[in-house]
Amino acid sequence: MNRKLTLALTTALAMSTLLAACGNNNNSSEPSKAAESSAPPASESASPSAEPSKEAEPFTVSLRHIQIGDAQKFRKAILDDVVKKTEAEVPGLKFELDGVEDAANRFTKLPAEMAAGNQPKIFDLFGGNADALKYAKAGRLLDLTPILDELGIKDKFLNVFGQFTLDGKIYGLPIGGSVEGVFYNTELFSQNGLNPPTTWDDLIKAADALKGKGITPFAMGSQAAWVPNMLVNTIIGRYTNGFPNGIVTGEVKWNQPEVVAAYDLYSDWVGKGYFTKGELGKSYDDMLNDFAAGKAGMMFDGSWRSSAFKEGAVAASMAGKVGFVALPALPNAAGDQTSLNANYSNGYGFSSDLNDQELAAVKGFIKNLYSDEMQLRGLLEDGVLPSMKLSDESLAKVTDPVVKQVLDVMKAAGTTFVHFDAIAQKAVYSETELQLQKLIDGKASGQQVGDAIQKLQEAENAKTK
Amino acid sequence: MTRSLKNSVPHVVLLIYVAIILFPFVFVLFSSLKTDNVEISQSPFGFPTELNFQNYSDAWVKAKIGTYFFNSAYLAVTSAVVGVLLAAATAFAITRMKFSVSSKLIYGIVLIAMLIPGNVLFIAQYKLVDVLGILNTHWSLFLPYTAGALPFSVLLVAAFMKSIPGELEEAAIMDGLGAAGLFFKIILPLTVPALVTVFIINFLGNWNEYLLSYFFISTDSLRTLPTGMVGFRDAYQTNYALISTGIVFSVVPVLLLYSVLQKQIIEGLTAGSLKG
Amino acid sequence: MKSTLKNPAVYIMFVLPTLVLYGLFFLYPMFSSVYFAFTDYNGLDATEYVGLDNFKNAFSDTNFRTAIINNMYFIVFSVGIQVPVIIIFALLISNVKRLKGFYKTTVFMPSILSTSVIGILWQFIYDPDIGPITDFLGWFGIDPIYWLAESEWAMVAILITNAWQWVGFYIVLILAAILAIPKDIDEAAAIDGANARQRAWYLTVPLIKPIISVVVMLSIAGAMRVVDIVLVMTNGGPYGSTEVMASYMVNKAMKYGEYGYGTALALIIFAFALVLTFIYQRTFGRTERIEY
Repeated sequence: MNRKLTLALTTALAMSTLLAACGNNNNSSEPSKAAESSAPPASESASPSAEPSKEAEPFTVSLRHIQIGDAQKFRKAILDDVVKKTEAEVPGLKFELDGVEDAANRFTKLPAEMAAGNQPKIFDLFGGNADALKYAKAGRLLDLTPILDELGIKDKFLNVFGQFTLDGKIYGLPIGGSVEGVFYNTELFSQNGLNPPTTWDDLIKAADALKGKGITPFAMGSQAAWVPNMLVNTIIGRYTNGFPNGIVTGEVKWNQPEVVAAYDLYSDWVGKGYFTKGELGKSYDDMLNDFAAGKAGMMFDGSWRSSAFKEGAVAASMAGKVGFVALPALPNAAGDQTSLNANYSNGYGFSSDLNDQELAAVKGFIKNLYSDEMQLRGLLEDGVLPSMKLSDESLAKVTDPVVKQVLDVMKAAGTTFVHFDAIAQKAVYSETELQLQKLIDGKASGQQVGDAIQKLQEAENAKTK
Repeated sequence: MTRSLKNSVPHVVLLIYVAIILFPFVFVLFSSLKTDNVEISQSPFGFPTELNFQNYSDAWVKAKIGTYFFNSAYLAVTSAVVGVLLAAATAFAITRMKFSVSSKLIYGIVLIAMLIPGNVLFIAQYKLVDVLGILNTHWSLFLPYTAGALPFSVLLVAAFMKSIPGELEEAAIMDGLGAAGLFFKIILPLTVPALVTVFIINFLGNWNEYLLSYFFISTDSLRTLPTGMVGFRDAYQTNYALISTGIVFSVVPVLLLYSVLQKQIIEGLTAGSLKG
Repeated sequence: MKSTLKNPAVYIMFVLPTLVLYGLFFLYPMFSSVYFAFTDYNGLDATEYVGLDNFKNAFSDTNFRTAIINNMYFIVFSVGIQVPVIIIFALLISNVKRLKGFYKTTVFMPSILSTSVIGILWQFIYDPDIGPITDFLGWFGIDPIYWLAESEWAMVAILITNAWQWVGFYIVLILAAILAIPKDIDEAAAIDGANARQRAWYLTVPLIKPIISVVVMLSIAGAMRVVDIVLVMTNGGPYGSTEVMASYMVNKAMKYGEYGYGTALALIIFAFALVLTFIYQRTFGRTERIEY
């Protein structure tokens, strides 16, 4: 009996230590966080970084970024520098970097984490109804307005908070901006005696000529449908007034003739073989590779891609051979033909459940990342248009020929409109992806695509009312 | 003549099948030693022109394969070991101890779980580990892996223990062994073949598990090999030479283990699925 | 003395950890699934009871219908095509005298590898630009097939990969049963003048019927469970044409945050599995054990 009791006791003890170990091991930052937040000393919260005298307790802050792979290395270098600098400034801080591929993070990882409420402390975030605003409504995002005020940088930003603002509060900081347009291979164009695709006629002429030579007119990678959706977005914008904002108010319908015409145009181009064969199996990187290898003469992409054509970048072989223009004016289309798709939609958001230490880390991160220096580096090294005001002399430092063209295109634009992924509800957006892929595969007509999306759009609009 | 021809026909057919099985491995091995996609596409079947080991150091550094590998290994081993021990203890209690009513009940409950397809409880388990506060820790994998292996392991080990003759334990009790001593000194050693089977099944199941580890773990340094490899693929999606190297890294250790333990692994897995 | 095996404290100690884990990771999720399936729970907004809406939606959801059909493809392919191939190869291996061990270990090999790694590997094999299949087809003058990009081929490509991974496993399973048949039966038949094919068909196959029935059951169970390979190779694409029930459920819950709907789908999958088990028990499962 005695022995049995001892055994029972030792087992019970072992179990409890195991459980205790569970608790501890889970999250090394968890216990300290609870202790911190339960009794925050007022002085500490005011300026935690100004206390180097006190031996700083080490703590980690999770940081989710999407700068993985070779194509993103310039952006990653900037991030690494900001991380290093912030770690040096905030005692005890160690960032725990977690790189996840863009679409996997935006459409799978982050939504699941948001629903569970265990999002990283700092994370890559997209603006708009399906992302930032949705999470802000659920109270997952940190209100950044007071931090911007405290750091005194609010006015340094351009007018870029539209997709991150809810009830006057700012919930995300766009890292930069982009416009979407046509990249073309200047060498291929001149070899074949083609004019730059600045007018619709020249664009079509070039496409047909390239096609005739066995060169794909437009590189395309539709495995992830956000890629072809960029072009669709701009074409619909050219055809349709009030797009995309009108889709949630009901002023614009996905199955109205103008939008259907845009889808029909895309479908027509697929039929004419303007896009890479088998585009549904091609990734976004494949698209760049095909363009860089000279297999395709043009591609429709965001201005951020300009950094791929630099010295030392993934498509360095194309350095000096790339032109960038806005999609030329469409004949007989109702929309504003000088209007350009421009987005300040990608940046960083921050978790609402921060303790004081973490808050200090976040402030340091914001201060270091959203600075003149890093914004200029982003522009020069990575071709990302600044989201903050840079001086003219800074802007004059731009030497990259593609970035220069991007800036010219922006200057020439009459108005800008955002990508519909910032406006449409998530379910609607994913329906546009699904339907577009169907269209590409020849399984749906423009009208069917429009009808299907509109059906879902109305259901979603009714939900929010 | 015709006889030897007749005898070689099955071999020809089988060797073609073996070639189909082995070809992807050889292809990936060759590709991992090629410089880039161009070299691969020019001769997918060809031997690399010169052996390029650069990919190996690149992949090791870029993909943290060592970390993923370690995570997978220790999670797979610990949860398989704990699962086996818990299952053996439970099987011992319900087959050898004299509580027939509750034992039957426990056996029945455990049996029901065999009817539930693995993924059905995924969402609810996600919520559970969230509520337990262990999301994004290795506990969120260790516990479901261990728990998930229990129903099957209990059934298999119990079936095995039932066949152990009762005289043995009577003698042991005469010698003054308590229940624990009986379990550890007499029953467990006798059950080793069943335990090995269960361990191998659970180990490989955990080692290869993808769904939970993809959604329950968000931190790169905590990822297991299957999810780590998918992340690596996403990051370098068009650099096939590099991805091939990653595949080689993740496959070779398993194949080495297999070449040493093939008999036990094959017997374990097949016996497992037959008795389950 | 006997009390050792009748001590309730010891008994509880031995079964408790298992029961706790079991309750936590099986029973509780089961019950909470039933609860969530009747709500619009999404993790972000307030949860409301929605009655049978989720189930109604599921049955009018054309994407889910595609997923069900794809699971059926999996079942038909693995039972209708794989099982006969498996039996033939098992018979072939059992009949050769040399290299038996080599064949056995080689064909078994893919089934110990991670499905996600296999998925990545085969994506590469299928790649229309640099994959070897394109080259191979090129020898016969066949144009590249965009395996994972075309809705007509993507499912086939996944089924082939899945077969590549699992056929060897089942071959070894059946092979073990064939080798367990006493040699004298076969020899007696040979003396009676039956040739190898006749002996295989009229003697061996009837004797291994029980194990074939097990393989059929395992194939169906495997086809219902399939998810990793779809998530890794196509993630359901192009446009949902390769989605299976489990991947659709996972995507609905994790991507769109529709946890309530997702758990309703989970319950439907469970119901499907029960029905299939029942049908199986009523048909194949009835095969009686054969005594030699």
